[in-house]
Amino acid sequence: MNDRFLDNWATQLRKGMLELGVLNAIEGTNLYGYDIVRKLRDIKGLVISEGTIYPILSRLKREGFVRTTIKESTEGPARKYYELTSKGEKILSQMNDYWTDIKTGTDILKGGKKL
Amino acid sequence: MINLTDDAKKNLDNYLQQVRICLKDCQTVDTDEVEQNIKEHIESELQGSPKPISFDSLNDILKKLGSPQQWLPEEEIAWWRKVILRLRTGPEDWRLAYISFGLLFLSVIFFICGTVTVSLLLVLTSFCLSRAALSAGTIRDDLGAQKCLIYPSLIIVYLTICGFPLLWPVFLLGANKAPWNRWDETVYWMIAYMFKGVAVGLYYFILVSIYKIGAKFFHIIFRPFAEKINQKYINWLLVIILILTILCLIAGIFMFEDQNREWYIYLSEKLR
Repeated sequence: MNDRFLDNWATQLRKGMLELGVLNAIEGTNLYGYDIVRKLRDIKGLVISEGTIYPILSRLKREGFVRTTIKESTEGPARKYYELTSKGEKILSQMNDYWTDIKTGTDILKGGKKL
Repeated sequence: MINLTDDAKKNLDNYLQQVRICLKDCQTVDTDEVEQNIKEHIESELQGSPKPISFDSLNDILKKLGSPQQWLPEEEIAWWRKVILRLRTGPEDWRLAYISFGLLFLSVIFFICGTVTVSLLLVLTSFCLSRAALSAGTIRDDLGAQKCLIYPSLIIVYLTICGFPLLWPVFLLGANKAPWNRWDETVYWMIAYMFKGVAVGLYYFILVSIYKIGAKFFHIIFRPFAEKINQKYINWLLVIILILTILCLIAGIFMFEDQNREWYIYLSEKLR
């Protein structure tokens, strides 16, 4: 019962954190899909199946937070590169602030101090 | 595309085929884009690997990518597929809830077809599964949409158990033929109803008192409905029943005294 509870909780947490992770990974740079996957899979517990990154990238593109450009590659066929739009930078800033607030508050609670 | 063995190529084609099937009616995702992403990912992952790429090497990559179904956005999954997914992988309380409702639905079909015994067995099984779903879902306070699946069989069985004890006094209050035809009919009925009211009032008073004393027991038996009854309302109910019973008794006695004289006359004539 405890494992199932933990799994359910972790799944819900990952759903929100993956989007933040993807946006933070792309910020200030130009990456293609596999590069983003490689960056994120090093974070323990964040990526369970690597295929979940690509639908997130598609959704972020639909929302207007990222744009794609096709660039020729010396290592194989042309690759699709992702970068943040100005709208994406703005939402990322808001998400990071929100995450900082939650993390700070949670750390305080964990330490037994009052908010 | 990178160089794959025949087995690996078949495996990849099979995977892509399943992805295309999953995304067939999807409105928001471009299937070609997804396929391109998958191929690009595999090529990047296996760039430095010895060629041709073996079945096992490719399979490892596909396992890390995830099942073909996970490429379909959650909001695009058809309702029937969500039901099947819930039954196969969902939390136990939801699976039990779906099966319980399914059995109840079947019981209705059997009942309409005239197979009452089978229908009854299905209702009882559905009831047991609903109780199990309630127990499995006790992590959350609010059952949410599960109520619609679990409650029907619970309500049917609980009403059947409680129906007779709660409703039979209503029939007691029904009309009976007056044995004394010398009496004024209206007055007789009123007196009879008053004393019947006293009897029914006492009965309900005792019933509600038993519930109040054994509340915990009844909460277990009639989960989750009995738990929602506020004890404050039970106390008020007892007071109201008591007041009505006393009023019926007083009214009955007064009316009976009024008719007393005629009753003595009638008895005297009968005994002569």
